[in-house]
Amino acid sequence: MIMSSAPTGTTVAESVGAYSAPTLRRIVAAEWTKLLGLRSPIVIGLATVVGAGLLTYLSANASSGDPGFDPTAGLLDGMSVAFIGPLVLGVLVGTGEFSTGAFRSTFAAVPRRLPVLAAQAIVTAGFVFLMAVLAAGTSVLGILPAAASRNITPDLFGDGTPQGLLGAVSFHVAMGLLGVAIGALLRRPVPALVTAIVLMLILPLVAVLAADLTTDPLAASRSGTVSAQTAAVNTVVTFTPIGAGSTLMAPGPSAEGGPDLGSWGALLVLAAWVALPLVPAAFRLRRRDLV
Amino acid sequence: MIQVEALTKRYGSTTAVDGLSFTAQSGMVTGFLGPNGAGKSTTMRLILGLERATAGSATIDGQRYADLTAPLHAVGAMLDARSVHPGRTAFRHLLALARTHGIPRSRVHEVIGMTGLESVAGKRVKGFSLGMGQRLGIAGALLGDPGTLILDEPVNGLDPDGVMWVRGLVRDLAAQGRTVFLSSHLMHELALCADRVVIIGRGRLLADASMQDIIDQSERAGLIRVRTTEPDLLAQALSQLGAEVIPQENGVLHVRRASLEQVGAVAGRVQATVLELAAEVGSLEEAYLQLTADSVQYRAGHPAAPVSSSAEGSR
Repeated sequence: MIMSSAPTGTTVAESVGAYSAPTLRRIVAAEWTKLLGLRSPIVIGLATVVGAGLLTYLSANASSGDPGFDPTAGLLDGMSVAFIGPLVLGVLVGTGEFSTGAFRSTFAAVPRRLPVLAAQAIVTAGFVFLMAVLAAGTSVLGILPAAASRNITPDLFGDGTPQGLLGAVSFHVAMGLLGVAIGALLRRPVPALVTAIVLMLILPLVAVLAADLTTDPLAASRSGTVSAQTAAVNTVVTFTPIGAGSTLMAPGPSAEGGPDLGSWGALLVLAAWVALPLVPAAFRLRRRDLV
Repeated sequence: MIQVEALTKRYGSTTAVDGLSFTAQSGMVTGFLGPNGAGKSTTMRLILGLERATAGSATIDGQRYADLTAPLHAVGAMLDARSVHPGRTAFRHLLALARTHGIPRSRVHEVIGMTGLESVAGKRVKGFSLGMGQRLGIAGALLGDPGTLILDEPVNGLDPDGVMWVRGLVRDLAAQGRTVFLSSHLMHELALCADRVVIIGRGRLLADASMQDIIDQSERAGLIRVRTTEPDLLAQALSQLGAEVIPQENGVLHVRRASLEQVGAVAGRVQATVLELAAEVGSLEEAYLQLTADSVQYRAGHPAAPVSSSAEGSR
């Protein structure tokens, strides 16, 4: 029995100096310690980095036979799917305290509460940033075999490629933050994950399906212009998180009839999507009982 | 020192804590008792600012918990042994807590040593037994070297060694001048380590007194039990002296308002052969059951049966 020898004779205070208040800097350090103390962030991080590279490789290989093959065109194919990683990670950070009861010790140490949420956002953003930079790296590696097979040297510094990579990294960071916000608001992992998935994947799909159902598929080709309904749906899609993410990763007018937000506009749209659950989550945390 | 004044907490129409006032003094172990659902845990959460009081206040050394500069240094709390993410190791959990207050890593090792967790500190908490979880909770409470400790059921799930260790620990902490406020359902254990007792039922204060005063309130306290061959004779003689005599079966008498010596002397005078003579001692458990008889919320057996009937039968 491990516990059989109960320690005795140790006085309570041996190495105690003057402890001071929990500052944001300290709480960030604590949250970082917590994040790295779990397996899931490491697993999710690895899966995202490897997955992004692998998907990019497969996609580049599949299109490498095309006549006008441009390896950098498919550079972000992996990262445009791998945002799920940061999203799930964010949800786990946002719900982790409440799904386990750890919130009792956390908020007893930081009774002001809000700095903890801020620290979780900061730590998640930092971790996802590292993940996304590595995923960008594996994505570049992913296009190299296909490019080599066609004797093309991919130009990573031209034609909006650096902006696209930067956009993909920003998109991933935003997804991590969105996950934290949804998680902090709903506090339970399953509803939070379902909400995040519905918001990211199903909502844009429903919009597109709705457009297909309401418009005559041949109308556009007949008249040569974009129908009002298609334009409206594409406008909506542009303002969804995934639409804003696409704009970030491939600057320029995205869908026919939709507005061109530009990179800054897309970032603002994503910031608004993060704020939407984050503000009520902060209110709930500050005002309500923690039971 | 913990001061609770007219503390009230309502959830909708349910009143969990109802105008509760008491003080847990420094240099003392104050036991906190009450039936399940009496509001003990709610009171502790209110003191720690995890919940907001509907009315009244709870302060630590005169300050609201939320206003404390360095909360872990002022108050060490263990509310629930499962206040830890199960996927984290014990060491990581404590280290993260320590980092919020700039507490050095050496102190983390120190509390791990004090609570006997060295061999499992690197293991994930999900594999911990209840007792190890309890030790981890206590380690977290000790981390900031706090002047006040709030422990909810600290001996729950501990082995006999662990129970003795907690007893010694809380006595030491109080002897160092700290305030120790702990709840427990183990009456014998609490009777051994607490100086004062606060008993609540249905969110209201039932008793706030020293351990001795509470024990003296129990029905058996001051009772003398005598078994004799001549119960009727002895009962009559004792009654004439002004003692209260309650005859029992098998020649046993319960006597109040008389000393052991008086009962013995009277028995000799009336030539009643004494087979047994003893002063009964009250117990915390008994006093507790009497005090809370009317406020037990979750009761086993038939709901209409008075809770004290079985206890009375055995007396």
